[in-house]
Parts: sequence; C-alpha cells; structure tokens
Amino acid sequence: MDARVPEDVLAMIGMEKVRQYDVTTRDIKRFAQAIGEANPVHFDEEYAKSTKYGAIVAPPLFCQMFTYEDVPQDRLPSDGSPVEIDVPVPAKRTFGGGSSYESFQWVKAGDKIIAKSTLKDVFIKNGRSGRLYFIVVCTEFSNQKNELVAKETATYIKRI
Amino acid sequence: MEENKLCWENVSAATQIPELIVCPDRTQIFMFSAITWNRHLIHYSKDAAISEGLPDIVVQRALIGNFLARLITNWVGDSGELRRLAWRVTHSALPDRDIVCRGKIKEKIDSDGDKCLICEVTAYNENDELIASGDATVVFTVNHRSS
Repeated sequence: MDARVPEDVLAMIGMEKVRQYDVTTRDIKRFAQAIGEANPVHFDEEYAKSTKYGAIVAPPLFCQMFTYEDVPQDRLPSDGSPVEIDVPVPAKRTFGGGSSYESFQWVKAGDKIIAKSTLKDVFIKNGRSGRLYFIVVCTEFSNQKNELVAKETATYIKRI
Repeated sequence: MEENKLCWENVSAATQIPELIVCPDRTQIFMFSAITWNRHLIHYSKDAAISEGLPDIVVQRALIGNFLARLITNWVGDSGELRRLAWRVTHSALPDRDIVCRGKIKEKIDSDGDKCLICEVTAYNENDELIASGDATVVFTVNHRSS
C-alpha cells in the first residue's frame, strides 16, 4: 500500500502564477462586511481619518481576497474548487486544511497588490479515513513599492 | 475607549482573551465566497456538500481565520498588531451555529524592546467540538507601520 505522489504532480512543484489587483475602498468595505467586522476603521472614512491610520485600512487577512485566480468558470474543476490546487492526484474531495498568514503592512485603497502564488509541496499521509493528499500553496502579496505586505502558506487536503 | 486600552504591563502568560462568539449564516458564507472569488460548491450548494458526505454547506477555512483574527484585534485594539495567524481546521463548521473563539497568552516576549505575545487560539462549535486551533503573534508597537 505504498503510495507515491504521481510524477506529473511532482513536476508541478515550484510552479508560479502572478497577478495584479488595484485595491479600492469598496473592496475593503465589502471584505469587512463579509467577515462581519464592525470596526469603522474598515468602512467609515471620516472615522478612519481620526485614527492613527489616517484612512480606511483593510482587515489583517484582507489579501485573502486575491488568493484565488479569477479564471473563467469553465476552467474550474467540476466541484468549483480553486485551480491553484487542481493537481492530478487521485483524490477529489477537498476539506479542512490549515493556513499560516503573516501581515506586515496595512493595505489601503489605491494600493496595487501583486499576488505571486507558488505550489510548494504535495505529499501523502495515511489518515484514519484513508489516504490523504496534502497540497501546499504559498502566496506572497507585494505592493506598488515592491514591499511585501502579506504572505500566506495554505495547506489543502484532498481525499478520495 | 482609552481606559480599556490593553497594556503590556497588565498581560502575562495564561492571560485569557475575552471570548468572541459568532454565528455565520448562509448569506455571510456566500458573501465570503464571493469576495474571495472562491467558487468551491461546498460553501453554497447544500446538494454538492451532501454528495461529498458533509451534512450541509461548510464555513470556509479562511473565514474561520478571520473570526480568530477578530478575537485578537478586538482584544488588542490599537495597542498592538496581529502579525501572524496560523490555524488548522479540525472539524467542519456549519451555518447558523455558534462558533466560540477563545484564546490565551502562551508566551510574552520582550527582546531588546521588541515586544510580542504568542497566543493560543481555538474555535469550538456549540457541541464543544474543536473546529480550529492555532496560534497568533501580536506585536506591540511604538512605531506605526508605513503607509
């Protein structure tokens, strides 16, 4: 029962994708609403001006909104799961997983965010519910000044 | 607000962070999928979720992370900044159910004036099953981050 990660999957490790987004006040407000954040520094411009930030700032994990590539729907796997983890392992269902998110700077409207995601690793563990495939994706978010504003290493788990 | 400010001097290892209880409904789960452009069906199609052996649509890992982040930022306020959050989802979280986020300080580090706290964070469902656990690093700053 010794399973190995298929060669064509191993060959994908190190693959990078880069994309760029312009951050708007609307993005920040909507992200704050979606996470249920009530702190007005994320949506009230007058209030935000009176704080040490001087303007609306995004919540700490905001760059998550740039994690997934905006590919057309017909390029998504049939379960709609992100293309970032669409690697040909013999397991379909994606569940659980974990994340390590580092935040180095406050993101504000007007920032340009360059997201670079890299497939870092694919490995197998045998769990109680059978064989599990772990897919590790690291995404670095830099701004227009080429400064790293955030970095996320996410681990996805696929099972048969 | 000021008198409630969190002070470095007043916290120590094992200090408990005030609990945060959230109850994401289907609309919120949908909004989070939309804003993150996450089109994974198990977050908005109950049929798709059931076909994968789940009882209902599930709350996104990333949204649970935001609840844990809010646990920290509500507590820290302007006194510090959340520098790093690491969490692992251990149990599916379902819509319209309370999620109780808890935390406590594991380590208080002061090295050459660089002050930071390492906190343990957890999220439980209403049956007291662990949904997620991890840790958070909070930096107490004097200098602001550049804009």
